[in-house]
Amino acid sequence: MKIEGSHLFKSPGEKVWNCLIDPQVLARCIPGCEKLELAGEDSYNAVLKIGIGALKGTFISHIRLQDKQPLSQYKLVVEGEGGLGFLKGEGLIRLAASGAETNVSYSGEVQIGGLIASVGQRMLQGFAKQTISRFFSSLARETEVASESALTSNN
Amino acid sequence: MAVAKYVCTRTKRKEDRRLITGLSTYVDDLKLPGLLHVAIIRSIHAYAKIKSIDISSAQKLPGVVAVVTGEEIKDKLGSVPCAAQIPDLKVPRHPVLAIGKVRYVGEAIAAVVAGDRYVAQDAADLVEVNYEPLAAVVDPLKALEPGSTVIHEECKDNIAFVTKTAAGDVAKAFREAEAPIIKQRMINQRLIPMAMETRGVVAQYQPGDKMLTLWSSSQIPHLLRTLVAGIVGLPENHVRVIVPEVGGGFGSKLNVYREEGLLAYLAMKLGRPVKWIEGRRENFLATIHGRDQIDDVEIAVKKDGTVLGLKLKVVADLGAYHQLLTPLIPGLTGAMIVGCYRFPNVSIETYGVFTNKMATDAYRGAGRPEATYLIERVMDLVAAELKLDPVAVRQNNFVPMNAFPYTTPTGLTYDSANYQNCFQKALEMANYKGLREEQKKLRQQGKYMGIGISTYVEICAMGPSSGMPAGGWESATVRIEPTGKVTIYTGSSPHGQGQETTFSQIAADELGVPFDDIIVQHGDTSTVQYGIGTFGSRATAVGGTAVYMALQQLKEKVGKLAAHLLKTDSSAFVLEGGRVTLKGDSSKSMSFFDLAQAAYHAKSLPPLPPKMEPGLSATAFFEPSNYTFPFGAHIAVVEVDPETGEINFKRYVGVDDCGRIINPLTVHGQIHGGIAQGLGQALLEEAVYDENGQLITGTLMDYAIPKSVDIPWFELDKTETPSPVNPLGVKGVGEAGTIGSTPAIVNAVVDALAPFGVRHLDMPLKSERVWQAIKNAKPRA
Amino acid sequence: MIPSNFEYFAPKSVPEALSLLNKYQEDVKVLAGGHSLLPQMKLRLAAPKYVVDIGRIPGLAYIKEADGKISIGALTTHYALESSALLKQKCPLLSETAAAIGDVQVRNRGTIGGSLVHADPAADWPAAVLALNAELKVIGKSGERTIKAEDFFVEMMTTAIQPTELLTEIRIPQLPARTGSTYLKMHQKASGFAIVGVAARVTLDANQVCQEVSIGITGVTSKAYRAKSVEAELRGKKLDSAAIKQAAQKATDGIEALADLHASSEYRSHLSRVYTRRALEAALSRVK
Repeated sequence: MKIEGSHLFKSPGEKVWNCLIDPQVLARCIPGCEKLELAGEDSYNAVLKIGIGALKGTFISHIRLQDKQPLSQYKLVVEGEGGLGFLKGEGLIRLAASGAETNVSYSGEVQIGGLIASVGQRMLQGFAKQTISRFFSSLARETEVASESALTSNN
Repeated sequence: MAVAKYVCTRTKRKEDRRLITGLSTYVDDLKLPGLLHVAIIRSIHAYAKIKSIDISSAQKLPGVVAVVTGEEIKDKLGSVPCAAQIPDLKVPRHPVLAIGKVRYVGEAIAAVVAGDRYVAQDAADLVEVNYEPLAAVVDPLKALEPGSTVIHEECKDNIAFVTKTAAGDVAKAFREAEAPIIKQRMINQRLIPMAMETRGVVAQYQPGDKMLTLWSSSQIPHLLRTLVAGIVGLPENHVRVIVPEVGGGFGSKLNVYREEGLLAYLAMKLGRPVKWIEGRRENFLATIHGRDQIDDVEIAVKKDGTVLGLKLKVVADLGAYHQLLTPLIPGLTGAMIVGCYRFPNVSIETYGVFTNKMATDAYRGAGRPEATYLIERVMDLVAAELKLDPVAVRQNNFVPMNAFPYTTPTGLTYDSANYQNCFQKALEMANYKGLREEQKKLRQQGKYMGIGISTYVEICAMGPSSGMPAGGWESATVRIEPTGKVTIYTGSSPHGQGQETTFSQIAADELGVPFDDIIVQHGDTSTVQYGIGTFGSRATAVGGTAVYMALQQLKEKVGKLAAHLLKTDSSAFVLEGGRVTLKGDSSKSMSFFDLAQAAYHAKSLPPLPPKMEPGLSATAFFEPSNYTFPFGAHIAVVEVDPETGEINFKRYVGVDDCGRIINPLTVHGQIHGGIAQGLGQALLEEAVYDENGQLITGTLMDYAIPKSVDIPWFELDKTETPSPVNPLGVKGVGEAGTIGSTPAIVNAVVDALAPFGVRHLDMPLKSERVWQAIKNAKPRA
Repeated sequence: MIPSNFEYFAPKSVPEALSLLNKYQEDVKVLAGGHSLLPQMKLRLAAPKYVVDIGRIPGLAYIKEADGKISIGALTTHYALESSALLKQKCPLLSETAAAIGDVQVRNRGTIGGSLVHADPAADWPAAVLALNAELKVIGKSGERTIKAEDFFVEMMTTAIQPTELLTEIRIPQLPARTGSTYLKMHQKASGFAIVGVAARVTLDANQVCQEVSIGITGVTSKAYRAKSVEAELRGKKLDSAAIKQAAQKATDGIEALADLHASSEYRSHLSRVYTRRALEAALSRVK
């Protein structure tokens, strides 16, 4: 399954970049991320819980950030496996900052296998889009918090 | 025959009362003391090395009796068998459980045995398989290329076999073509047979007498017995196979599967009976698929539409392993590619290719629907190219009526037919001329009606043993019991065809006994003499003939015995109304009951003559001298919504000739179901593997089979051309509907789209595909 | 096709059911007709530890009319809605939608409440309740609340209902005179769900001018939605083919049509426009 899209952040490039490579921020923003542990340089072991309606599953995952070009782009590699099957994804995340705004575009390919691939195809694209959109919304809040952290303390 | 009271009548099926009221026994209905349940762990990767399998958590789950893996069985069990004999055929090892590598999603890796099915499934979820995924080979054309990943190391490449045949002078035919050579690639997409009852196996082993009993939902009990004995290494006479009620097969149960070997092994290992019932998801993944060919056709024609020659290249996607007949199916496409037509110049190249998918094998029609689809699309392509009426093109090319028996360039001998007559009848029923006029009017109103024609011939009554991998005869025993009741034992074990009814009809007429006094026994290798099974539209033509032959032997004995008991020298008796009566002298008559009593008590006065054995039983093994070749003409009329691509049926007309008809009800049942399944291929069905070899149409939520709302009203009729191949004159009808309908429907849709310049569309004709074709064509129109 | 282990409860009253939901929170699923939950459980996509079967609670299956409003109990089956004489007369959109669901077996067992709470992105009911401005009555430990249909569908298979709440009733406001409606759907041939489903209703004044129009669309994106741009375009206009055709072009404004094996995003968008136009024309033709 091909995945691509973009999200416009109302934050400058550096803030967005820092959030995008900060494991703590990522752990908070990746929907269903229950655990994110450093496994090596730019490499993490994660437990991702997905839930949609009655459907629930846990993916034991490995996440890598590769070919980092600071403030510009990196490659995100995610592999996970669980009772529902497995997923393997690779995507390029690119930043284009313009003043106080930053456009983040992503394009990649996700391979899904096992139970979920054979029974869930009609839901997959919608679920993927929903997950990505949640991720970017959370990340947008994080970048805004990062931008305004001096002013706000009640969050 | 005696008086035909039942044959040729719409006799209601004896099977139906028990089926409809839920009183049948299927494999899953079996309950044996101490029965254990098996769940199977299947690969989630299309191609991967198995690095390790951790079964420890599964073993610890309370209620689990055993967990087995490929490692355990690899030296104990033989390969899953393939019966195909093709020169230089590559036959890779097909293990009961994967050894070292998995080669398709759904391949069995390990099995859990537990006290109940729920615990077995829970434990299966606890088995951890550690894979090293490899790049899967999914596209058969890429699999053919040098340098492609090789699926079976021992095979060097992915080409399981190549066959090339030619007849006539194809090069000359193509040189002499009067119109541009027509070339078309057509896809016969992969289908899933989808029997209502999934597969299921129960196995029990008695160590005392070393007897293994295997219950399986199968079309071939005796072949299964021989081949399972081979997998587990038991003498064949220590294996008994029982096939209880079978809820459909469509060819998918004409096979020997891993689970049959596995369950036999588990029963022997554990000394307890074991049961495995295939889930619907497993049925999608691990029961054979059908079709799956990429077909390239080239055709040379004269200006009047006469076909001069045809070149066919078949690339058949065989999947990862050979099942029983996998490599043989594509050959049937080549064999039947000439259809009802008489052109002599043909060349056929067939490539059987391994891919990382479930095996393909015989699915209703098995190679012939593919052939009929191709040649019937070709006829329409010729008509479109030469601006001729597709009716005329067909009529111009038919094998003429006086040419039968007709030997085709592919080496078959068509037994009997009258294609013109059958076609004419269909055209009249449909009011073809009227339809064309209506089409013209509707087109002016922006409505897109299409008329699709298909005339087909198929090969049935499989078949002479010379053409079959494991014998092509069939057997029957008919017994008149001491009370005069009749029991028929047939080797042709049915799975929905209604042999209990049709064979009883034949026997009731031959013996003149009441229909309800006859029962038909099948499916148990301990009670039924060796037989071949039910497939290839052979049950009536071959199995029914065996019954008929046994009845003739029996009647001879009945005549001799009656003559003896009634003290006459004549042997001319009339068998009617449960009595045996001397022809022309009704005073010399006795009931079947009295006759049977005399035969079995063997002490009646006068005593049996010296050379007459007691009892009243006869067995026949019928070896057919040829196949039979039923034929027909189908016409579909559809309307396409040009805005959405949706297809609606307006009419469906079919005239089928299956030779002499024993029971019009069961014949209609077969034709109805067949048309529905053929419609499925034309419009709805497709097993889709993604580029990584995942089957993404893995449930009935995504794999569309035809439902009642999708099926048009059928206007059916028949012609009846008896086959000279068997004394009943029957040809076979199990697959005819599937073969005739697919091209008729596709031709109708393509015809509807003719104003948009559309010449061909690949199946299934989902509305989006139709819409795209219209959209792409619009700028040109 | 063998579900995981679960504990089964069959409460006899709503408070009893609510107390179970409160007790087990995230680990519990409510079972109504079972046509969405049970297949997921059999595939082991869902493995709730506790299942609360509300099918035995009396008094949750009804179709009533009071003060012009129609009230439907959450456990009312699709078949009951399809065959209701009251609905055929007062709110035919509901009986038409019900008739378009699945097959006879599904309609005999499945319930409107179960379908709405499951919120399958291609289910039929969401389009209808959106087009009818329905209100959904839910009940929780702290009492009742009413959620507008428009606020009910949050995301794919996610609604505004909390895991500790039960949907008990669907209320349809009275339809004014001179209203016409329809539900048109392209069936996905395997599942019977909608590739596109459009529920439309229009109300005209005496001069054939569109007073009110609402359109609910399902199957296109991750949740059913109101085609507000189309509605805005038509409100206050005299309705004719040209106006409808033009407005229907906006059926997917602001919507990202999803793709699956059965329809690409482009095709779904196209079908949304065609079906919206056809649904509006049919609804218009039914105004009396």
